[in-house]
This record gives sequence, structure tokens and C-alpha cells, in this order.
Amino acid sequence: MAETPVRIKLANRKPARGDRLFFGISSLSAMISLTLVFLILLFLGQRSLQTFIDQGWAFVTGSTWDATLAEPVFQIFPMLYGSVLVSLIGLVIAVPTSIAVAYFIEYMAARPIARIATLLVDLLAALPSILIGMWGVLVFSPVAASWSKLITVHLGHLSFFENRMDNALRSPFIAGWVVAIMIIPIITSVSREVMSRVDRELIAAAYALGGTAFSVMRRVVIPNSRSGILGGILLGLGRALGETVAIFYVLNLVFKINFFHILEPEGGSIASVIIAKFGEAESFELDALMAAGVVLFVITLIINMIATGIVQRAEKKMAS
Amino acid sequence: MTIQAQMPIPAKPRPKSAAPWKVRGFSKIAVTTVASLLPAAMAITLGIFFDFSPPTILVILFLPLQIVIASIAALMVRGKRGMGDATLTVIVYFALALVTVLLGSVVVSVITWGAKAMSLHFLYQNDVYITPSTSLEYGGIGHAMIGSLVTVALVTVVTVPISIAIAVYLTEGYGRLRGAVRFFTQAMSGLPSVVSGLFIYAAFISIGSNRPAGWLGSAALLLLMLPTVTRMSEEVLKLVPNELRSAALALGAPRRRAFFQVIMPAARTGLVTAVLLGLARIVGETAPLLLTIDFEHRTNANPLSGGMATMTTYIYSYLGAGYDTSRQRSWGAALVLLGLVAILFGIARLFANKKVGSR
Repeated sequence: MAETPVRIKLANRKPARGDRLFFGISSLSAMISLTLVFLILLFLGQRSLQTFIDQGWAFVTGSTWDATLAEPVFQIFPMLYGSVLVSLIGLVIAVPTSIAVAYFIEYMAARPIARIATLLVDLLAALPSILIGMWGVLVFSPVAASWSKLITVHLGHLSFFENRMDNALRSPFIAGWVVAIMIIPIITSVSREVMSRVDRELIAAAYALGGTAFSVMRRVVIPNSRSGILGGILLGLGRALGETVAIFYVLNLVFKINFFHILEPEGGSIASVIIAKFGEAESFELDALMAAGVVLFVITLIINMIATGIVQRAEKKMAS
Repeated sequence: MTIQAQMPIPAKPRPKSAAPWKVRGFSKIAVTTVASLLPAAMAITLGIFFDFSPPTILVILFLPLQIVIASIAALMVRGKRGMGDATLTVIVYFALALVTVLLGSVVVSVITWGAKAMSLHFLYQNDVYITPSTSLEYGGIGHAMIGSLVTVALVTVVTVPISIAIAVYLTEGYGRLRGAVRFFTQAMSGLPSVVSGLFIYAAFISIGSNRPAGWLGSAALLLLMLPTVTRMSEEVLKLVPNELRSAALALGAPRRRAFFQVIMPAARTGLVTAVLLGLARIVGETAPLLLTIDFEHRTNANPLSGGMATMTTYIYSYLGAGYDTSRQRSWGAALVLLGLVAILFGIARLFANKKVGSR
């Protein structure tokens, strides 16, 4: 009987032993990371569950924090609201300036200046936040307090800018500025990157049709990079919400709702209150802090996912 | 055939705006100059007259005046369409000045104040007999640098191989859980640093099985570094052209060799950048280390037991002490930290500028 040639089916061939080891290790690492995430979720959930049950919805809607009572009350609404308020003030300052600076670097600056500015912005995005917090409390706070007093003098009759206390330091306004300075490089870096990917021919065409710098920016640059910039903004928002030490220095954490008096020295931040309280926390108070951490994690998680979704959609649109 | 008589085309006068490249006339230069000087002069005069403070002058007087006058100048020079451009230019430069002043102030304060604290012994001595009010002739950040080095080295040694292995799983393999792994790595990158520290504190320290120690700080940092390095490595490995991969396999190389001898060398510079940027992210972390490592004035290079100081907790601790001298110590440490981040970033840039695939 003549031997028939054996056809090797590559797809079915068992990988060599070395390869199995290679992929085994990589799969193992992947499983380790999955396990880590599940451990974090499980552990944080398990430790904070009791607090959620004991405190109920009031945990996120109430505004008392007292561990000395027989039945301790833990409610974080002022911190939650404070985190959002400070981040929003930060965004109001950071977003227009970041976009303007990104526009400058990408479209107005001479090439050598643009290259240096790009480098600087990327470097500043990696600036440790404790340096900004330190600068915020030692250098910036007195200056910002004088601005804040000026605003109170000129616009104090709007309740928004009212300050019923002598002190203008450690207010959400100042914390907002510090957060803004922290996230400006991040948003600028992302926006510049996105703007640099806008089709140059499209821009040239718009100019050839008689566009001006302003109209080209409004009709071509911004619409084409909008979703990428939004992704950058959400990235900055995530950073701002999770910021701990810098805000801890420049903000007075008070368990009292301060809805819109942004110049008064009363505010809150979930991340900072964890640092502030954990030192003398008993185990049940620690659980409550953990629950606060879970709330923060869930918020940043949602923002992060929206950001990823937007950026991915933008990238797909760019690619097609 | 008759040659058509050429009819002379009646010459139209060229519109004035038809040659925008022509040198601008004297009047236009004059208008532009006036428009760039007048608002400042007006704002300062009015400001002094009404006795406003500098920030008020800048925001209430100068900015609106500059926008209005620049628009008028643009209207005169380029017509109605120039007005938007003028406004845009003024706003962009104003934002640029604001950002430059603020971020410049951060960097300049760190450098000038930090330089005052700097001396040779500040870099290598530790803080054993130092109180916050001790003068800067004694003591330094040597122990904090060693602490930072040990914790960061530990987390890097553990994180980098795992991260790259996960990236391999995501790009090279056919694992069924790739989507889940990618999703959860992404989710992990949203973990606020303080929550990461709190997790380690609750899981290891508060239940009483461990004392705060360097390795727990590293563990908290791992949760922050792992997603960063994994995601960036994945991006870098994806950029390696598929032809390289196929060519190696076609020559009969087993997958592991294709990876180690072809794909990894091709992506080397990118992988180095990923690691360095991951490092830059964790070197500046404070909150997780505050929760997981006891602050210590002595030098301790053992991550398994005893307290440790790191650069960031050193800054935090001396800043909180509230003396002038302790603040100076913080500034000094801040300058060193800034230098460290800048060096890491510079090296990352150097590697990133090399093209993927070049040797």
C-alpha cells in the first residue's frame, strides 16, 4: 500500500510544550488580574455592606457623621456633593483654558514653540498632585483668598458669591482652582492630541473656501475633535473626583451642606475625608469610610466607562 | 480658417483685498499697534483712577477692552470677517497667559524654595534626631529616597512582568476571556488611589494580621500601576506589524520565540515608555502610602517590616508640622521629586521618539 502524504492541519496541531508554558504564564497573569479585581470588589463590598444596611439610603442623602453615638450615624452627602462641586468648579475653569491652550499649541504657535509646549504639557500632566497641593496651600491660597474677597465685595449681593464669614481661605472656590491647575495639563494634552489628528486637508479646504480662523475652529476643528475632547474632560473629571491630598490641604471639610456658597470655607470631598478620618477610626467607622470609598469608586467607574466609550467611538470614526 | 480677432477684455480694477500677501500698508500697521497698546493703557489709567486692584483691572477692564478694541481694529483692517478672529486670538492668548502664570508659578516656587533647602547632606542624611523645628543644617531626605526606591522597585519588579504577560494574553493568544480581562483592567484604572490604599489597609492591616510595612505600600501601588502599564503595553504590542509576526511563524518559530525574538524587540522602546509612564504615575502617589506604611525617621530598607518614609509621605508629614523649617524640608523634597519625575519623563520621551521596530 502506497503511503498517502499526511496533511498536517495547523489549526489542530497541539502547540509545543514551550508554547504551552508561554501561553500558560500569560493566561495565569490575566487570571491574576481578574482575581485581583474580583477580590477588591468582593472585599470592599463585604466590608461596606453592613454600613449600607445600617444606614440605608441616608448614607448618601444625609449629612451627619458621628461615630461617638451609641448607634453611630454615617452619612456622606456633604462630601459627595462637595466632591462634585469642587470638580465642577475645576472643570468650569479648566475646560475653556485647556481647549484654548491646545488650540494655540496646535494651530497658532510656531513649530519649535509648539514642540516645547507639547513636551511641557505632557510633563506637567505627570506632576505629582502633592506638589500642586503644597503650592496651593503655601503660595496660591492667600492670593486666591484675595480674589475671593474681591468677588465678594463686587458681586456679594448674588448669594452665589456671598461670604458670611471673615475667612476666605479653604473654600470650594480655592479647591476648585487647585483641581483645575491639576487637570489643565491632562485635558490640554488629550485635546491637543485629538486636534492634531484633524485632517489638515480639511482645514486647508475650509480656508480655501474663504474661512477665517474663527469659523474654521468653530465649523471644522471643534466638530471633528469634539468627542475626543469630551473623553479628555471626563478623564480629568475622574482625576478631580479621586484627588485626595491636594484637596485635603486647601479645603475645609465640614459635614454640613453648603449648596452654593462657593467662597465660604465649607466644603467636602470623599477622597479627602477618608484620609482625614481614618487615623482615629474604629473598625466600624473604617467600614463606613470603606463604603464611602465604594461610592467614590462606583462614580469614577461610571465616568471612566463613559470616557472610554466616547474615545473608542471617536477612534473608530477617525479610522473609517 | 480665420483667426478670431482678440477682443480686449475690459480691465477690472483689482479689489484691494485680492493680494493678502502684500506688505501691509502703514495705516494697517498703525491700527494694529494702537489696538495692541491702547487697551492696556486704558485699563491701567482707569484702574488707577477708580483705585481697583490688579486682578480686577485685568479681568473687568483689560480683557473686555482688549476684545472690543481688537475687534474694531480687525474690522478696519480685514472687514467684518476679521472680528471673530480677533476675539479668538485675544481669548486664546489670555487663557495661555493664565495657564503659564499658574503652572509656571507651581514649578518656579518648587524650584526656588526647594533650592534654598538643598545641600549635599540634605540628599543623603536621614532624620533620626530631627524635629520639625530643627534647622536645615542637619538631617535630610536620604531615608525617604531609599524608602521610595525600595517600594517603587518592589512594585515595578512584580508589576512589569505581569502587565506584559497580560498584554501578551490580550494580543497574542486566543483566550476566551480577553474581553473580560480588558474590561476589568480598564475598570481597575479608575480605582481612586485612596481607595486602593484603603483596600490594602482593610484587607491586611485592620484585621490584625500584618503591621503597616513597605510591601503593603507596594501592594497598594500595584493596583494603580498594573492597569496603566497593561493598557499601554497592549497598545504598543498591537502596533507591531502583523507581517513580522507571520514571517516569524512562517519560518517555523514557535510562538514563544516569535514573541521574545521578534515582537518584543520590535516593541521594546514602546514597552519601556509604558513602564516609565507607569512609574511616573506611582512615584507621586501619597494617599495609599499614608494608609499602608508607618512614617519613620530612621533609614529602613527592609520592605517586610518596620515603618518607612517615602518622598511623598515625607513632604506630607513635614508640611503638616507647620514650622518654617519643616516647610523648607518639604520644598526641598518636592524639588527632588519634581526632578525625579522630570528625569523619568525625559527618558520615556527619549525612548518614545525612537521608531517602533528600529534598533
